Amino acid sequence: MLSIRNLHARIGNRTILKGIDLEVRPGEVHAIMGPNGSGKSTLASVLAGRAGYEVTQGTVEYLGQDLLAMEPEERARAGVFLAFQYPVEIPGVNNAYLLKAALNAVRKQRGEPELDAFEFLALVRDKMKLMQMDESFLNRGVNEGFSGGEKKRNEILQMAVLEPKLALLDETDSGLDIDALRVVANGVNSLRGPERAIVMVTHYQRLLDYIEPDVVHVLSDGRILKSGDKSLALELEKRGYDWVRQEARVA
Amino acid sequence: MNAAVANDALAPYGAAFEAVRATVGETAAAREQAFARFAELGFPAPRDEAWKYTSLRRLEARRFAFAGAGGAGPVDTPAVDALSSHRVTVVNGRVTDAALVRSAPLDGIRVRTLSQALEEGEPQGALLRVPTGGGTERFAALNAALSNDAVVIDVAASASVAEPLHVVIAAAGAEPTMIHPRLLIRAGAGSSARIVLHHVGTDSAEHFVNSYVDVEAAADAQLHLYRLQSQGARAFLIERIDATVGQRAAIVVHDAQLGASLSRLDLNARLAAPGAAAELTGLFLADDSRHLDAHVRVDHLAAGTRSLVDYRGIAAGRGRGVFNGKAVVHVDAQQSQARQTSRNLLLTPGAEIDTKPELEIYADDVQCSHGATTGQLDPAALFYLRSRGLDERQARSALTRAFAGAVLSRMDLASYSGAVHSILDARLERLLETTA
Ligand SMILES: Nc1ncnc2c1ncn2[C@@H]1O[C@H](COP(=O)(O)OP(=O)(O)OP(=O)(O)O)[C@@H](O)[C@H]1O
Ligand SMILES: [Mg+2]
Repeated sequence: MLSIRNLHARIGNRTILKGIDLEVRPGEVHAIMGPNGSGKSTLASVLAGRAGYEVTQGTVEYLGQDLLAMEPEERARAGVFLAFQYPVEIPGVNNAYLLKAALNAVRKQRGEPELDAFEFLALVRDKMKLMQMDESFLNRGVNEGFSGGEKKRNEILQMAVLEPKLALLDETDSGLDIDALRVVANGVNSLRGPERAIVMVTHYQRLLDYIEPDVVHVLSDGRILKSGDKSLALELEKRGYDWVRQEARVA
Repeated sequence: MNAAVANDALAPYGAAFEAVRATVGETAAAREQAFARFAELGFPAPRDEAWKYTSLRRLEARRFAFAGAGGAGPVDTPAVDALSSHRVTVVNGRVTDAALVRSAPLDGIRVRTLSQALEEGEPQGALLRVPTGGGTERFAALNAALSNDAVVIDVAASASVAEPLHVVIAAAGAEPTMIHPRLLIRAGAGSSARIVLHHVGTDSAEHFVNSYVDVEAAADAQLHLYRLQSQGARAFLIERIDATVGQRAAIVVHDAQLGASLSRLDLNARLAAPGAAAELTGLFLADDSRHLDAHVRVDHLAAGTRSLVDYRGIAAGRGRGVFNGKAVVHVDAQQSQARQTSRNLLLTPGAEIDTKPELEIYADDVQCSHGATTGQLDPAALFYLRSRGLDERQARSALTRAFAGAVLSRMDLASYSGAVHSILDARLERLLETTA
């Protein structure tokens, strides 16, 4: 589904990604862990198409297409979804408007008809129940005045509505209380399926108790140093990242 | 040499005045004085602070026919959507629906022309007042000299009129024409009323509309003015609105500046008695090569007065916006509040908006704030929307509407905000097509 090969990217003249290789197949859940500033969000941003990054080497293939050649909205319509680490507040743009415009853009791409107001509302109500979000959020500006946890929940609500093929979750668990973590994990798990894949960036093994990953990667200084199964996350939790770096230096 | 040039520019106005002089009867003396004031001030000099960002040289060089005493002959009235079923239409300075004017168009509101008011013994001093000061004094004086059918609108004391009165000021005809519409709006004590002030014109001719609006809100009156400036694309428009607000009275102005080639609005509110309030909000869209200049000034003259000024500007293409907001809190205006914000959005690199918030405070126990920002659409917000599947144009459109929305959402008159929205939407659509 997603093949990243030798990906190098920089901001200005600072190279952040220094050769990422990652293979994600349909149905898989990958977790990416790594120290602050190692390039996790940069990777997510490059995959989603944020401006300001220059890819200097490498390729990214998504469902047989050259992902890096696509505009951000083309990626979204093709089923790529990024849940932002820091969702942007957009006062004056209605949450419901965004959900509807986004859903109809994705549906159009899939060759499905636009939803009318009733069908849309029924669908969104359903997903909001799943996310245990009050309907009043629909009439607020996008993320406007949302608490940190509410913003994260809103990201997953959007994901649940859009049903992407490839979901990139950047620290969606950070800032969530214990109950909210369960709700968000529920939302993510509801999306799991043989045709979909999930790549989630996290600092905490706790999330992985709820969403079990097939593969865990350690990203450090712009490279994936080590990959393993979910026991790697447990080990990282106990021992930190230094030993992985040392191992990598020796190798 | 300079004087000769100035005289040259003023000559056609002098000729126009000669043409009206004979027809204005008892107001001749007052008009003579007003014209003398205009001639004395002339057009603004190059370094006039009140005209720092707005040059009138193009206007000064144009020659206009005068829709004066003789009338302008048959003219096409531009089509106007009904913003209310109660309408007064002033075409090239003349009231066209005289029948409406004679009868009371709305329960509690009386509309007369200047001559009717004079016949009924109103003192001409109040009807043809010439304000002093400000960059547009010259034009207000010119208006007093040359205006023909001033429209006098009186809201009866204690009347509460829910239906808005729609006043259409139209510039019509194929020949470039100068027009001096004049309005006197008096809200009686304890009254409440809503008036739509709607400028329309043709896109084909370069008319010059020089409008003066004199507003008095007596004690406890609530007057809402909805201004929709959609003058023709080639027109020059200068308008001065002077509002004097009495004890515990409030004036609320909604302003949408969407038309004209060059427009200048001076909106002055004098909070003259304790507890007077003004809420002045507006939006301007300077696209193409439109030049829109708004000078908003609030004078706090008495204790416990409150003002809120919130203007938002959008510029694109070679468009140019100017916003000058000034609050003056005079020495007697203790415990007053003056808030002012100006936010501006540049949609394309060539566009420009100059903004200058000013605050002068002579009282010590007051709350004042002012702020101005000018920027582009937030790239992080644009990316966020695009990452959800909206194309760039949709994303830009949503963010631009959101920017305008903060002012639009205050427009509490459905027919008016509907009209503003539809003009704005069509223009933004076209804009984003050419800039995305
Ligand atoms: N615009 C920028 N200019 C310069 N450096 C930047 C810019 N954006 C990010 N960086 C740097 O790139 C590096 C990687 O940042 P990134 O956000 O990808 O880290 P991260 O792994 O997601 O960290 P965290 O766990 O703290 O979220 C950091 O050192 C960061 O300071
Ligand atoms: Mg990060």
